[in-house]
Amino acid sequence: MMILASLPPKDEFLSTMWYLVETYSSFFIRGVVITLLLSVVGTAGGFILSLFLTVLRTQEIDQRRDRLGSRIIKRIGRGFAKTYITVFRGTPMIVQAMIFYYGISPLRLSWWTPLVAGLTVVTLNTTAYIAEVIRSGINGIDKGQMEAARSLGFSRRDAMFLIVFPQAIKHSLPSIANEFIVNLKDTAVLSVIGVFDLFRATSSATSSNFRIVEGFFIAAIIYLILTYITGKVVQKLDVLLEKKEVKANA
Amino acid sequence: MKRVFVVLMLAVSLVVLAACGSDEQFDLENETEFVVGLEAAYAPFNWSTPTENDFTYPLHAQNGVYVDGYDVVIAQQIADELGLTLVVKAIEWDGLILALLAGEIDMIIAGMSPTAERAETVAFSDEYFRSEQVMVVATDGDYADATSLADFNGARVVAQLGTLQDALIAQLTGATRLEPLDTYGMLATAVSTNAADAFIAELPVAQGMVASNSNLTIIQFTEGNGFVVSDEDVAVAVALRQEDINLLEAVNGVLASISIEQRNAIMQAALNRQPNA
Repeated sequence: MMILASLPPKDEFLSTMWYLVETYSSFFIRGVVITLLLSVVGTAGGFILSLFLTVLRTQEIDQRRDRLGSRIIKRIGRGFAKTYITVFRGTPMIVQAMIFYYGISPLRLSWWTPLVAGLTVVTLNTTAYIAEVIRSGINGIDKGQMEAARSLGFSRRDAMFLIVFPQAIKHSLPSIANEFIVNLKDTAVLSVIGVFDLFRATSSATSSNFRIVEGFFIAAIIYLILTYITGKVVQKLDVLLEKKEVKANA
Repeated sequence: MKRVFVVLMLAVSLVVLAACGSDEQFDLENETEFVVGLEAAYAPFNWSTPTENDFTYPLHAQNGVYVDGYDVVIAQQIADELGLTLVVKAIEWDGLILALLAGEIDMIIAGMSPTAERAETVAFSDEYFRSEQVMVVATDGDYADATSLADFNGARVVAQLGTLQDALIAQLTGATRLEPLDTYGMLATAVSTNAADAFIAELPVAQGMVASNSNLTIIQFTEGNGFVVSDEDVAVAVALRQEDINLLEAVNGVLASISIEQRNAIMQAALNRQPNA
């Protein structure tokens, strides 16, 4: 292996890249780990929270049977879910990061680090997107299924939880996995609050030598590898789900 | 469901509550930690490195990432004299004052000029370094032989967002001011790739860049031919919250004990630790 002790001259693109990889390997590794952590936690956390949001949002008010109290609670729940989705999908994640990180910092909570703030923001943000994905999944389920369940004596809630939701979630899985790929790339904006993700790791690796193009070329290759691999996994997942479907229908 | 809603409402009200900070002074007697913020991307004042040495300090909450540079050495001296444990946080340039006001950090030490505009929101110490403003251009470019401000007629000039240097572009008659960029690394890249013709920098920053990028060169102006700057603009100072009067006095005391010769030696040593090519 070629060992480069010192920074190569300016026009040697490849050897500069090699120098950066070698000298700052710990930065790049750390950056990849943090980017993966943000994407995994953001997508998994977002998925779980989005289920709550979906439940809140799909409540139906029965004017005859529901008492006033439960009607109000349902209405507030639906309003909250709708507002939440509108706000988080309607504002850029970089703006949310600034507001959350610096909004909560004055409380001087020792655990409120940029990473914790970043994890919070990516989770809350992904929640809104996955909630939309699941909602369209629910819309895709034939209305006849609900009607059939109700005529067989299922309550609306049981029909929702036992019949509609599981199918909607299953159909949504590829789109949810897509959110993971989106997160791999979009969490780069969290470097604005000091999260040491791959983007900031690259900035840091070039902070005393200023070889930005070479540094971000390395970052691009790493991002591409990460998204390519997860993209392949999503494809496999797609095929797998389809196969099961065919079997179930047969 | 209701509980989830209540928890979320609580989170929202916390955010609102956070907007009203406390007015208490920094407690020099009882505080143990001294949290300073810097960019970690403004060599030789401050930069990031994966290798530890006698001058580096670990970044807060980021294992394996260290900061080095003039600011780090000075911050360490201040913390030592005050008997406090130094904590260093890396924050983007345009978030530094925000972080200070939010209580996220207690001091900015980031090669910041104590301009009148910034002094409206933060308190500045006495200067801890003084230099001059120079231009950085491409060695083989049209402006490599410039000697005066007038020579930059027609040049595309860029600066870092929210800096004194950005305001100085107005003094270059006939030059085009490009949209400011986020870091000095981007400025060096802009000139290297011909996206801009020149940028303005403090002399030590320019020296560090030229040392690692031979395609860049410094244009230093002779007496009377350079930028017209007020006295505070060529100096850099640390910034504190305006209510922390005790801390300001203590910091000024420490800075006064570091002579100009010592400062220049610390800066030269920081420049020598930057990579050369």
